[in-house]
Amino acid sequence: MNQTSTWPRPCTRVYLVLIALTFATYIVGELGLSGLTAALLVLAGALFKGHLVGDFFMGLHGLRGPWRWVILIWLLLIGGLITTAFTLASPSTT
Amino acid sequence: MSTAVSAPAESRYPPGDLAIWIFILAELSVFAVFFAAYAFTRMNQVALFNEYQLTLDRGAALINTLALITSSYFVVRAVAAIRGGEGRSCAGWLGLAILMGGVFLGVKGYEYAHHFGQGITLSTNTFYMFYLSLTFFHFMHVILGLVILTAVAFKARQGGYDAQDHIGVETGASYWHMVDLVWLILFPLVYVMR
Repeated sequence: MNQTSTWPRPCTRVYLVLIALTFATYIVGELGLSGLTAALLVLAGALFKGHLVGDFFMGLHGLRGPWRWVILIWLLLIGGLITTAFTLASPSTT
Repeated sequence: MSTAVSAPAESRYPPGDLAIWIFILAELSVFAVFFAAYAFTRMNQVALFNEYQLTLDRGAALINTLALITSSYFVVRAVAAIRGGEGRSCAGWLGLAILMGGVFLGVKGYEYAHHFGQGITLSTNTFYMFYLSLTFFHFMHVILGLVILTAVAFKARQGGYDAQDHIGVETGASYWHMVDLVWLILFPLVYVMR
């Protein structure tokens, strides 16, 4: 195995970011933060985590063509739907 | 082996058999409908959803999220190992990934036992209907993913893959990452966002 690679490996860096964002999400829950802003921030973090998994774990990063974007499109689709539903459910919009 | 996570340069197709990616897209579409149904149903029952969300074990969900992310990371290392022609190392990483998947099943099973022990069912209320059906649907995907990873790990241990021929490892890995990806959305949506 070639040992000339930098440490930590790119996949390890991505893994550490995923772990950090997961703890951040958990802390938001434990603090009982509610409301549209908190919910959408948590959602944004989740979508970013999903993007990292798609790009760097599933190996879509660097692809050419439509397969490069399938996970990102899925994330944007569900992100848009969930954002719409939570925004419409927010007291300030009713 | 510096990147370990990217598809071969200039490739137009994702790692693994293209058929698994068609399957993955179908699965993701179903989960998207589930997520949207949860969010839009919640619109008319915000108080109920917020009240019963507090009854969920967020600590268990944290452990499960960490377990799945770690498992996915081990699978990435397994793919990197087999691309380097290291079949036994690949099998070892997959074994660790399977172990983490087992942790997920154990913790989720503990959660279900707790809920069922309290008499909670799909009929209890709309929140629990979504919680139980969404998480159990995902739970079944974890089981299927573990079956796939176990089969791939055995074959890798027996020398069934090498640096040139390892599409089976990449196919199993892609499916497992999809299982992880879905949970990364499910966890905040059901356990945290309110």
